[in-house]
Parts: sequence; C-alpha cells; structure tokens
Amino acid sequence: MIRRTAWMWVGLALAMAALPQLGGDYLIGLGITLLMWIALAESWIVLSGMTGYVSFGHAVFYGLGAYVMVVCWNNLPGWAGFLGAGLAAGLFALAIGYPVLRVRGPYFVILTYGLAELVKFLIINTEAALGKFGRLVFGAPPLATLYYLMLGLATLAVLIAWTVRRSRLGLGLAAIREDETAAENAGVPVARLKLIAFALSAAIPGMVGAVMALRSSYFEPLQAFSPTVSFNIVAMAVIGGGDDAPGPILGALFLVLLSELLWAHLPEVYMIILGLLVIGFVLFAPEGLHGRLQRLRRP
Amino acid sequence: MSSLLSGQLLFAALATGGLYALVAFGLNLIYGTLRLLNVAHGEIVMLGAYAAYWAMTMMGGAPLFALPLAALLLGAFGFALYGGLFRLALSRPALMKRIEGNSLLLFFGVSIILQNAVSLVFSASPRANKADDALIAFADIQTSQSRLMAVAITFLVCLSLAIALKTSWAGRAVRAMIQNRDAAAIVGIPLDRLQAWSFAIGFAVAGLAGALVSLFEQISPFMGFPYTVAAFVVIILGGLGNLAGSLAAGLLLGVVETFGVAATSANWRSILVWGIFILVMLLKPQGLFGGSRR
Repeated sequence: MIRRTAWMWVGLALAMAALPQLGGDYLIGLGITLLMWIALAESWIVLSGMTGYVSFGHAVFYGLGAYVMVVCWNNLPGWAGFLGAGLAAGLFALAIGYPVLRVRGPYFVILTYGLAELVKFLIINTEAALGKFGRLVFGAPPLATLYYLMLGLATLAVLIAWTVRRSRLGLGLAAIREDETAAENAGVPVARLKLIAFALSAAIPGMVGAVMALRSSYFEPLQAFSPTVSFNIVAMAVIGGGDDAPGPILGALFLVLLSELLWAHLPEVYMIILGLLVIGFVLFAPEGLHGRLQRLRRP
Repeated sequence: MSSLLSGQLLFAALATGGLYALVAFGLNLIYGTLRLLNVAHGEIVMLGAYAAYWAMTMMGGAPLFALPLAALLLGAFGFALYGGLFRLALSRPALMKRIEGNSLLLFFGVSIILQNAVSLVFSASPRANKADDALIAFADIQTSQSRLMAVAITFLVCLSLAIALKTSWAGRAVRAMIQNRDAAAIVGIPLDRLQAWSFAIGFAVAGLAGALVSLFEQISPFMGFPYTVAAFVVIILGGLGNLAGSLAAGLLLGVVETFGVAATSANWRSILVWGIFILVMLLKPQGLFGGSRR
C-alpha cells in the first residue's frame, strides 16, 4: 500500500519533469504556477500545519525573495540572487521569530499579516526614496529553465514537509500544537523548535519569490507582497488538509485549476468561491481533501 | 515645527481618533460577549460606507437620512447573522468548538467574500460621496460642514454608548458577561438575547462609522482592514469591555497617527499604523485580555 503510493508520487514527479518536452508555453506557464503553489503551501505546513501557529503573512518571504532577486540581478550571478533570496527569507524569519512566536493563537495570525504589510510599506518607501517605481528584469532565463528551478523547489518543499513530519522535530512540533505548555513542561525545547520550523518554512518561499520575479520579469511591491498570496497559501493548505505532504498538493491542484477557469474573466467570483471554500472546509471537512480521500480508501 | 501645533491637526486627530473609538466599540462588544475575534469588522465599516453612498449619491438622500439608514441596515444584518448562523452553531457544540478554534480563518474568509462581493456590485474603483460642502473656519481650523457634522456625531454616539454601558441595566449585564460569562448566566442574565443585541449594536455602530467616513473620504471595497487593525490596537491599549479606555486609546492612536504623518510624510501612514500595531502585539503577547483575566 505504502509502496504503491510512493511509486505514484515518483510517477507524478517524472510526469511533471517531462512536461516542458510535451507542452507549449501555456502549459509550461500553468505548470510553473502549480509548482509555485505546491512549494509555497508545503513550506507553510512545516510551520502552520505542524505547530498550529497559522501564518497569514507568508507573502512577506515570497516578496522579500523577489526583492532580493531583482536587486541582485545584473550585479551578481543569477545563482547568487537565487540562493540569496532563500537565505534572506530564512534569516529574516530567524531574526523576527523569537518575539513573534511568543504571540499565540488568533493574535499570531494577525501579527504575521501585519508584519507582511509593514515590510511591504517599508520596501515601497525605500523604493520611492531611491526613485524607483517598480523594477524590470532584463535577460531573464528561458521559461523551461524557470520551470525546472520551480520543480526543484516544489520537490524540495515536499521532501522537507515529509521528512520533518516523520522526524523528532516533527514530533516536537506536534506536541506544541496539541498543548504547548505541557510540551514545555515535558522538556520539549519549544522556542527553539518553533524557530527552526519558522526558518524552514520561510526559506523556500523566498526562492520561489526569486524565480517568480524572473518569470514576470518585473517587480512591484504591491504585487509581490499581496495578501492574496498569503490567503491563497492558507486556502490551499486548508482545502488540501492535514499536516502531511499530500494535502497541499491536492489543495494547490484543485485551486489552480479553479482559478484557471475563473481568474481571467471573473477574479471576484474566484475570490468569493475561495472564501466560501475555506469556510466550508474549516467547518464541515477539517480533514481536507487528503483526509477525505484516505477515508474513502480505508472504509 | 510650529505647524505641528496647529488646531487644524488637532481637529484631524480628534476626527480620526473618534472614528477609531467608534469602530473599536463594536469589536469590543462582540469579542467581549461572544469571544469571537471578528476580523471582518472593518468590512462592516466598508458596507456601512457603501450603504450611505448608495442612499446619498445614487438615491439622492440627505446625510441625516443615510446615516441612520446605514446603521439600521447593518444592525439588522448583524441580528440576522447571529440569529441565522450563530444560534445554529451554538446549539452544536462540536461545530462551535471548530468555529472558536478557527475564528480567524473563518472571518478572513468572510472578509474576502464581502470585499469581492462589493467590488463585483460597485466595481473596485474608489468612489466619493457628493456632499454639500460649505467650508467652515473657526480660529485657525478650516473644515467642511460634513466633516464637522461627522465629528460631532462620532462623539455624541461614543458618549451616549459609554453612558448606556455604565448606567443602564443592559449595559451592566453586558459588562458582567464580559467579566465572567458563567457567573452572569447563573445570576440570570439572558446570554442569548444579549449576544444577539451585542451583535446587532456592534454592527450598527460599525455601519454608522463607515457612513460617517463616506461623508468626507473616498471609499473602496478594500478600505475596511485598516479600521480592523486600528480597532485591535485600541482594544489592546484601552482594555476589553472598557469603553472609556477605548475612547482614550482611540484618541491617542488618532493623535499619534495624524501628528506622525504630519511630522514625516503621507507615505509613512501605513508604516506608522502597522508599526504601532506590531509593537503593541509584541509588548502584550497575551493579546486582548492583557493577562488581567483568563
């Protein structure tokens, strides 16, 4: 049973790897979008799915990564900007993590949202002071290269989520989610574990942001730090369900297809459906798509 | 720097601060009585603004007709929402537990739905009300008629709510409920009815605040969230269930924001508001209760 599931995932990864050879630009673009959301949502569950500290500001890591990339572009080699983006996002999480992760429950949710907004406006003001209003990226790599970068990031994010969940770290994080005070009293180093999870869950979104800045060959803070990014991540993770790797993949697949149908013509309708879906899943199917499927398979 | 001491700025600070206090009052009431943190509260403000816009600019009504209308509409909405959804949920403990555990996600969902529904109906571009705006000058303060009226109404409503909460039977019952729900139920306070009214009044006041904003500022479907944030700051600073504290904290926030922006530049407004919010959060990580009760 487990072997069959594993082969299925390997098959899926291979199919995704073959996609640029088969499809045109539209399909590759769609593939990048799907992989981007998978990478973001998988990173998100490392913190929020496993500890219950729901981050509503993951756009901040995405935006920071994009910003680092456009600032480095043409000044440093491309790989430096790419790795720098991940490093900057991870270090930022480490820097703010200690005070921020002391705030619990609903307040953590709004706090992360507020942090993303604060960084957004700080960067808007910095850019305005520098006399820049949006930056263009010239000479971005071809679409297929970006696709493989994103495939690498998505695979890495899935593997991290899968491994963490089955590690000592994952056990500690689950203990924090169930009862943080009890975990602390039992000797779980809660502050350190939360910090590690926060940094882990920030680094890949930074690199995803860097790749997406090259993909759109454009950087604009209002877009890169848009709360819509954060909300989409949360929605995918909630709809997919659970704290394990398959959930976000299902959630991302479902919402990317839905948005492909609706976003171009009816963006408002897409957002309304998104809101309804989140409410519906939270209230009536908290186990998400993944949990539902598992229940179907094991009657 | 003498311009910083002008009455004009003080007036603007009072206007903003009063609105913050008003919005925070509704949030305070709902959070205090139901223990639900309504992040969609700013969207109720936005709905109130659009109700007033519809009544005034699209139907040609007078402000004195539009303001109570917005309050009434949103109050009825709150009442219906409580009666329809929450009473249903409260009767099913498993569902209620899920709502309480995920209230933030749920209300974020509501807020996204409201924003996009309004932008579907009225379009996403900002609108402005056509108000008859004679300018009024008083000492070194210059203001428009509608703005002066908005400030006067804000303070009148704040004051009467404070008095009602302090002296009336219902006000005392609500404060008892905020202090200790179970004890309040034991001494015979009708929780359900008070919760319904708290919802309705909280929404009505938010709707009124939105209508007041629409008198002198542009409105858009996405205008609500800054008010939610301001209201959080006000409640954390002023104390849960403490309306006098809310008023003081609202004014303080209005003063800090207005004078802060005047001393720097308009670009800094958002940084200032979010910065204060984050600072308050980090200094009081226990959240709204501030550790004074559990």
